Amino acid sequence: MSTGLYLYALTRGLSPALLEGRTGVAGAPLRLIENEGLAAVVSEVDLEEFGEDGLKRNLEDLAWLEAVATAHDRVTREVAERAPAAPVRLATVFLSDASVRESLARWHDRAERTLDRIEGRGEWSVKVYSDPSTRGAASSEEPADDPGMGAGRAYLLKRRAATQRKEAAAQEDAETAEQIHAAVEKLAVAGRRLAPQDRRLTGHVGEMILNGTYLVDRDDVAAFKAEVDRLADLHDHLRIELAGPWPPYSFASLETS
Amino acid sequence: MTTGQVARPSAGSANEPLQQVALVDLLDRLLGAGVVISGDLVISLAGVDLVQIRLHALIASVRAEMVPR
Repeated sequence: MSTGLYLYALTRGLSPALLEGRTGVAGAPLRLIENEGLAAVVSEVDLEEFGEDGLKRNLEDLAWLEAVATAHDRVTREVAERAPAAPVRLATVFLSDASVRESLARWHDRAERTLDRIEGRGEWSVKVYSDPSTRGAASSEEPADDPGMGAGRAYLLKRRAATQRKEAAAQEDAETAEQIHAAVEKLAVAGRRLAPQDRRLTGHVGEMILNGTYLVDRDDVAAFKAEVDRLADLHDHLRIELAGPWPPYSFASLETS
Repeated sequence: MTTGQVARPSAGSANEPLQQVALVDLLDRLLGAGVVISGDLVISLAGVDLVQIRLHALIASVRAEMVPR
């Protein structure tokens, strides 16, 4: 079979011995390819599976995707616990050691800057959910029926009031989400708002009003968590979910400047 | 960045083990545009978007099977 090299993460200062006995996608052994102090963590993959045609086919196979994504995450965590690691996108495949080395040379300066930025830091996810059913009773008051009013007009007024309440609630949620994002971002090195996730994927209850992700220094983790706790107490009609630390998936892009 | 707060010593904050990422969150990040290095085999960004959309539909249908409502 022809093989390619699956790239998990860029790193530096990792002893190759630490990868001994460790495996990646499909159980293939991990190894390092180094160039001028910058290293790529790779393992061999079958190009039938990971070539362009194979990828197109396999990326739509949920079981395959889950296995690869899970292995990718596991390897990245193993590396990130021992050295700064910039994870790369899923299914980044090279054809030869020489090609990886050339790319390492090309990325060198940008990768070093990225590794400087994420060293000693982890990614934390803060999700905020608004559940209309637990929203305060204050917002559910309805105009009393006026006996002199026709049924059709009363209905329309009620409908309009309901729409206005819904819009006001959505507006309030949007503002609160922005405030929470701004507050936790202050304790982070960087923050990003990702698109809210689809309820059909997550099965969550209510509306995800914030899907925020933050790069937090190890030394600031306690303060970051305390701030999330404080915000959860402050907005007790909202549900706040904190998760992490994760490898810095959202903060490892190589800047082009 | 400084916080101006005395960080309370939290259990293992210095060496907190990295946590496994839930699949949905992982795919958000691994297929998103944030972490991009071009390999020799490039799935174009547009291609990835397409994959993602189809994927979401797929995950949704799988979920629907798993969680009958």
